[in-house]
Amino acid sequence: MSTNKLTDGRLAQAALDRRTFVRGAVATALLAPLGGALAGCAVPSGGSGGEETAGGEMTADNPFGLAQDADVEAVIFNGGYGFDYVQFAADEANKQFADVTFEVSPSTQIAQELQPRFVAGNPPDLIDNSGAGLIGFNTISDQLEELDDVFEAPNYEGTTIADTLYPAVKAPGTYNGRFVALNYVMTVYAVWYSASLFEDNGWTAPATWQEAIDLGAEAKKADKKLFVWGKEAATYYQTMALNSAIKEGGDEVRLSLENLEPNAWSLDAMQGVLEALHEIVQKGYFVPGGAGTQFTAAQARWSNDQDALLYPSGGWIENEMKDATADDFRMTGFPTPTVSDSPAMPYEAIRAGAGEPFIVPSQAANPAGGKEILRAMLSAEAATNFSQSRLAPTIVKGIVPDDGFGSTALVSQTGMLDAAGDNIFNYQFVDYYGLNADQLVVWNAFLSGDLDVKGVTDKLQKISDDVAADDSVEKIEVS
Amino acid sequence: MSGTSHLAAHSDATPSATAVPPGNTPGQGRRRRRRISFDKASFFAVALLLPLAVYVVFVISPFVQAVYFSMTDWSGFTADMAFVGLDNFARLLGDEKFLRAMLNSALLAVVVPTVTIAIAIAVATMVTVGGSTTGGVRGVRGAGFYRVISFFPYCVPAIVIGLVWAQVYDPSRGLLNGVLTGIGLDGMADFPWLGDTRTAMAASMFVIVWSFIGFYTVLFVAAIKGVPGEIYEAARLDGASRFRTAVSITVPLIRDNVRTAWIYLGIAAIDSFVYMQAMNPGGGPGYSTFVISQDLYQTAFSKGQFGYATAMGVVLALVTLLFAAVVFLVDRVTGGGDDVRGHA
Repeated sequence: MSTNKLTDGRLAQAALDRRTFVRGAVATALLAPLGGALAGCAVPSGGSGGEETAGGEMTADNPFGLAQDADVEAVIFNGGYGFDYVQFAADEANKQFADVTFEVSPSTQIAQELQPRFVAGNPPDLIDNSGAGLIGFNTISDQLEELDDVFEAPNYEGTTIADTLYPAVKAPGTYNGRFVALNYVMTVYAVWYSASLFEDNGWTAPATWQEAIDLGAEAKKADKKLFVWGKEAATYYQTMALNSAIKEGGDEVRLSLENLEPNAWSLDAMQGVLEALHEIVQKGYFVPGGAGTQFTAAQARWSNDQDALLYPSGGWIENEMKDATADDFRMTGFPTPTVSDSPAMPYEAIRAGAGEPFIVPSQAANPAGGKEILRAMLSAEAATNFSQSRLAPTIVKGIVPDDGFGSTALVSQTGMLDAAGDNIFNYQFVDYYGLNADQLVVWNAFLSGDLDVKGVTDKLQKISDDVAADDSVEKIEVS
Repeated sequence: MSGTSHLAAHSDATPSATAVPPGNTPGQGRRRRRRISFDKASFFAVALLLPLAVYVVFVISPFVQAVYFSMTDWSGFTADMAFVGLDNFARLLGDEKFLRAMLNSALLAVVVPTVTIAIAIAVATMVTVGGSTTGGVRGVRGAGFYRVISFFPYCVPAIVIGLVWAQVYDPSRGLLNGVLTGIGLDGMADFPWLGDTRTAMAASMFVIVWSFIGFYTVLFVAAIKGVPGEIYEAARLDGASRFRTAVSITVPLIRDNVRTAWIYLGIAAIDSFVYMQAMNPGGGPGYSTFVISQDLYQTAFSKGQFGYATAMGVVLALVTLLFAAVVFLVDRVTGGGDDVRGHA
């Protein structure tokens, strides 16, 4: 080794650098994953509870006892419906309570943004717990205010709110007997098509799966497909399948799915639907490549390009695709096709339920303020504003006029609700147990043609079975 | 090795010894008895204690908390939690989805750094020493231009890259299938690159590699520039081909940089959250692109199982550490301990 001083120094420097580097690299290796992975985890800090505002006196005009100088905070999911409709309601409430400050802010990541505030004990007074990042109800339902008093209160027109609503709107927000989530939007699940396109071609909406398959053949002649799907929304076809199976087999099917029973997905009614869908897939009546297509792009191929005739979705679809819908499309919905000509529930039966759950945390500084905004939302002014601007019905009856504010989709939604009468059903096991993420993978494979009926049945059953077997998940008994 | 550390210790001691005025203190133990001046105390406070405090508060304590949370059943939305010991970790061992994510992350950790580094070295070689064989050693014509171009992807945020490529891969409207069908490959029409189990992972890896090449090219260019040009001239005079020069001269001489790159790329690849979440938020067809960080996110925020999710985070950290250890081990075993530059 050279004894030259300069070389020695450089060598020493190199050795030092390497050691420093090793330390640095190890430290980095430690920091990078943990830092990134855990940055979102907040530390519990005792949860001492928010600063309670001294309550005001409960009167007929102030049913929840909101203090006259209160500050009320609402965090609203800013998705398909936006959040300004709540601002509108808050402004209405402000007319009743001039000195109360209402602050409405949007969020697209409810769980991520509000998780630390729940832990710290100072959540906002009102939350629209919706969207892909919603907080699972099985984790927070016991930290929420019961909202029965909202329905018992008078609206701003003086009528008791409960008397102005569609039936059974409490059901989807009731967990273990406590009504804690007020679902504001009435969502109708249907299959949608362009009335103008169908008229031009002399097509009619299919009432059974056989008719749907025949329509697929017609579509093929016109160089179109029957259905289209996108990767994030493959389970819209699951919703359609469940609706059809429940109509075919009645409550027995619904209850076995809701209660995660071991044979739920192999019941005859369910199998009949899956077989029909499999045939449609095999015949090539789906626009190919859905498993690699972003869902709004896929939806635009139906609403804008009209490459596909039908799309199963909730009533939000018109608003969602407003900017990507062909002129004179005349979006119209019809009830899900049935397996046979003699289903247990009539063809007109639909799945409809209240959606967009609003919650009032018990630990909030001002729960009365949260409830007051809900009261405003359920009054005529705000409810009309919502239906008119979002083209969707709320749980408040009699708000949508006959012309549906010029929306064919809205007219057909109220039409379907009227035609269904008492044959309206709903189910929650997918959302309640958070199954959608796992089911998406299965449905993408099934619609791509990678799974047969047995394959899709087994995989969907396994998802239900796994939750049923997991003792750490609190179950809801549906009857 | 011992010779090197001796030299290091020696040269380390030299400057401090000369900094002390001679005759001020007796030779033995003079370091210990030196008066702590304000100058020195404030230097320690600012340079050592402050960073240490920041490190302990913001790095160490969250680590410790994370390890604790991983042994609880914390839901994430209350301040209450029960201690469950190692139950979460035991559960992970039987969690098919998590094991699949582990496998995917391992695959990413192997493939992404290897491919990225190979391409980056190739590009770096071409723009620095791969040029004309007459005259001085230099890069190919227009080297500066290529260098700038190759850096472009690195300037785009990862989330944007993910979203843009998701569109490129779109089966019917995407650029890729448009080009492929345009040149006559009609079988590629409507092929779902991100929706087919055979291609989803490879397509995702391509995007990650694409986004990193520019930065590592620049890193290797700087390293190659640090190698004396005479070495390349000598190699050329000896008749070494460009490939031989790259393999036998360049790679050994920039070995430390390659190892650094390997570790950083591996960490990024094991994580991959942003890319995967942008291209396939559901985990891809048959979970073929599902990575640990996505599982962690879903478990924490969608399922409200923060304790279990934190256990995943702890495992992710251990996997990353293991990866770094393996890289060092491989480097050492293959002779990386010798300082090539010292001998040259």
